[in-house]
Amino acid sequence: MRSASSKDASAFLAFDRSGLAMRASHVLVVILVVAAFGFAAVGAALNDTFYLRLATEALIFGGFALSVDILLGYTGLLSLGHALYFGFGAYVSALVLKETPSFWAAMGAVLAATLVFGFITGLIANRVRGVYFALVTFGIAQVAAKAVYNTRALGASDGLIGIPIVPINLGFMTVMSNAPVAFFLFTLVFVILLYVAAAYLLDTSFGRILGALRVNEHRVPFLGYSTHRARLSIYVFAAIIAALSGALYPMLRGFVSPELMFFTTSGNAVITVVIGGVGTLAGALYGSVILTVLKSVIGTMTEHHLIVIGILFMAVVIFLPKGLMGVIRPRIARRLRGGAR
Amino acid sequence: MTSALEFIQFVLAPQMITGLSLGVAVVLVALGLTIIFGLLDVINMAHGEFYAIGAYLALALGAAGINFWLLIVIVPLIMIPLGYVVERGLIQRVFNKPDRHVTTLLLTFGLSLVLEETLKVIFGPNTQRPPTPIPGAIDAFGIIMPNYRLFLILLGFSIIIAVALIVNRTALGAMVRAAAFDRNMAASLGVPASRIYAGTFAFGVALAGLAGVLLAPVFSVFPTMGHDFIFMAFTVVIVGGMGSIGGTVIAGLVLTQVQVLSSLVVSPVWSDPIVFSIMVLVLVLRPQGLFGRMGHA
Amino acid sequence: MFKLGKLYTLLLATTILSAPALAADPIKIGVVTPLSGTYAPIGQQVRWGLELATKEVNASGGIMGRQIQLLFEDEEANPSVAVQKAEKLFESEKVDFLTGTVNSGSTLAVGQTAERAGKLIATTVSFADSITGDKCSPNVFRVNARAGQQSAALAAWVAKQKPKAKVYFLGPDYEMGRSTVATFKRTIEGLGATSVGEVFAPLDSKDYTQYFGQLRQARPEVLYTSVAGNDTVRLLTQMQDFGLLGNLLVVGASGTVTSQNIGAIGAAADGFTTGVGYSTQIDNPGNKKFVADFKAATKADPDLYGADSYGLIYFYKAAVEKAQSTATDKVRAAMADLKWATPQGEKTMRAGDHQAIQPMYVVRVNSGKFNIVGEVGGDEAIGPDECKRF
Repeated sequence: MRSASSKDASAFLAFDRSGLAMRASHVLVVILVVAAFGFAAVGAALNDTFYLRLATEALIFGGFALSVDILLGYTGLLSLGHALYFGFGAYVSALVLKETPSFWAAMGAVLAATLVFGFITGLIANRVRGVYFALVTFGIAQVAAKAVYNTRALGASDGLIGIPIVPINLGFMTVMSNAPVAFFLFTLVFVILLYVAAAYLLDTSFGRILGALRVNEHRVPFLGYSTHRARLSIYVFAAIIAALSGALYPMLRGFVSPELMFFTTSGNAVITVVIGGVGTLAGALYGSVILTVLKSVIGTMTEHHLIVIGILFMAVVIFLPKGLMGVIRPRIARRLRGGAR
Repeated sequence: MTSALEFIQFVLAPQMITGLSLGVAVVLVALGLTIIFGLLDVINMAHGEFYAIGAYLALALGAAGINFWLLIVIVPLIMIPLGYVVERGLIQRVFNKPDRHVTTLLLTFGLSLVLEETLKVIFGPNTQRPPTPIPGAIDAFGIIMPNYRLFLILLGFSIIIAVALIVNRTALGAMVRAAAFDRNMAASLGVPASRIYAGTFAFGVALAGLAGVLLAPVFSVFPTMGHDFIFMAFTVVIVGGMGSIGGTVIAGLVLTQVQVLSSLVVSPVWSDPIVFSIMVLVLVLRPQGLFGRMGHA
Repeated sequence: MFKLGKLYTLLLATTILSAPALAADPIKIGVVTPLSGTYAPIGQQVRWGLELATKEVNASGGIMGRQIQLLFEDEEANPSVAVQKAEKLFESEKVDFLTGTVNSGSTLAVGQTAERAGKLIATTVSFADSITGDKCSPNVFRVNARAGQQSAALAAWVAKQKPKAKVYFLGPDYEMGRSTVATFKRTIEGLGATSVGEVFAPLDSKDYTQYFGQLRQARPEVLYTSVAGNDTVRLLTQMQDFGLLGNLLVVGASGTVTSQNIGAIGAAADGFTTGVGYSTQIDNPGNKKFVADFKAATKADPDLYGADSYGLIYFYKAAVEKAQSTATDKVRAAMADLKWATPQGEKTMRAGDHQAIQPMYVVRVNSGKFNIVGEVGGDEAIGPDECKRF
């Protein structure tokens, strides 16, 4: 509220430059994809299973972080309960796969169910703004996770095991979900498609309304747009991205458990996005890779890894408000601009 | 008829009295939270960990032979420099960024992770408990009430009144409220705004520490104890109106009564969702909370 | 020079020849256990128990001449992390065997991972009946006593102490808490007791006093509870503050009062009685030595988790020595109906559901000690084999 005009101006500048910045993000994602292919080749040559599947998990959680970034980076809304949708997707997928091991049936069910579920919960969450939004999303997720924790039909606190290995029929080939290299590459393509969908949507006129919403919510209605509808739409969209990422989880691991919905999972996604760089989309994917590597390395050295991660996280919040991408992306953008000249 | 009387004697009346002691506990934790929010506009996610630090200090110093009554004074005094340093070293660094709410929330979230884990490194993962300072219980008309809980209710109310007086009736409090209303205006009138900010944060942290000392004998001490009251405390602060001391007290007492009484009718598992629904309802109908904000009354 | 060269060749030759026989590479046992989070105290006991037994086995020549190497990973009491870490140990570290999981969700999920990796695991802590019941797996073994065994022992003792008692139940409101209460309720009602009420409090409840009214109104003689950890500390100390412990027999699950929380509960734990597979007071030379060594190494008393984890190393040793191999199929076959020595005496691994059979003890807390007040034979407590998968 205070110094509103200067805040408007700075945010507007960032918004104006977003075209070039987004192109830099795309370049970084291409680099990530190339690196991932290299990684897959090395993994295949060494006949590795663990690292490939760990990387697959990092991508899945990267897709989840992407959806947190859509909300936080593009509407300024921090969700502290977004794991609700990740877990929701995982559970719906698990339940369908236990009935019939069909990838497409599971994905269809997750999409349809999340559309309805995201809409209903979005109606509640979008009644409030700012910190209240953070606390309300936290509360909704807590209540839902507790309900799952207590529901016998959903395996209660034990979760669901026995989700079969899924053949993913792509028309020209079939990927088995337990094949380390193939499923890694499949997940890579899947998550990149989620990224492309998000980037495309945010580049449309709808995305520009969101940008405007973030800059000054009170002016948008005068432009003839419904702020409420725009916020609800992006909320449901983010929920779907999270749920589709979550849907891959039981295919990889063969089980789901209520912990997937807990605050730890939501908090991890927030840490991922902040370390990678808020509002950059590519940062969510990089952040997930970094955090996975960090946890894997530090976690083996000490059980007090949270201290290291917590300090790193605070340092990023203070010193690198745009995260890792804030350091790298301007350099890429400068090159791109140089190239355009 | 006897069964109805018995219900009141055994169930309803004790339920409401223990609910009151729980309510006072929640308000004690929420008090610092609401003051910090009211003045600094900062959601302190690490508040629960400051509460835990207070409890652990009480435990460690108590084991070293310091008497409980002294701890009530000493522990908050130790917490003040800690809070001051955290505000100056961390919060101030991001205080003027555009998304202050989100940034400070993230920062204190990171801090909470570090503090909780540090407590575990120092004190180990096991639960510990200081001895009850005032043992024994009163049995009046068949209603049993432990002495320490009665003491807690009385002392809790005294603390609440003292805090309200400091904020609303002293010159210091006037400066705090002025800074909360408009920092620049207050600064130009000679209020040392940045020191007031750090001081208020430290005051809120000290209150959390004091709550830790007082509640440790009742609720025991363990590294993750910070999560315990924090959701309820946030709810109370939101419903009461961020920064309103009166609102926090009323919301704290009413919501805990709702919780304990509803658990007589429906499964206790529902008491959290019920309280949460009330919070959402209040936010939808009156986003500023029931009693408005500090400095804006 | 010539001599030296010959000696060198000789040395080289012996090294090469003896390499397979010496089998210098150790047997790797992966341990995926909560070292952080809510269950960290249990993970600590698991770690201590395993490390003590490993040290002993290694000092006396290892398993078939091979040393045991333990590889620890923190599972953060989260099945998703547990599975990831288990996969790391199976695929990357090529461990021969895995143990350590605490919450039953982790045990079930890691069991499935083991099945897909073609490896064996054992839990030393999880006591959900389902693990060796309807969700049993050919690759999962349990060396500790399950909930049903504990209930059977405790119920028999309670029925003898207070025939036709009025029993009140207070459980934590989640699947495990509810099923533990249900099992005990069924068993004790079968022995003539009547239930006068039950309440389920949310996990991590702060204040149990709000349930005391209903409890007092019901006027029970026995209170059964299956809360654990911090929740027990609060429940029992708050009951003490309210003077409710006086004329009530409080009994509960084996995880309700353990060496982790008994210090914090203090005198409020006195009189608490439970059915359990282990007590430091078990009177046999093996246990006395174990308790003394455990205390010397860790400055803490072992509890059931520490003891069962300690016994697990000897279980694995016995199986590998019987199989003369660490190959999954051979070890699995050797584990079936295997008898091995533990601090609790001899245990038998039932082939039908991979559940260990062991004598069960009724222990009663007095001044911080778990005194044995009753014993039920292994065969009486074990209950039927309900595993249908193998």
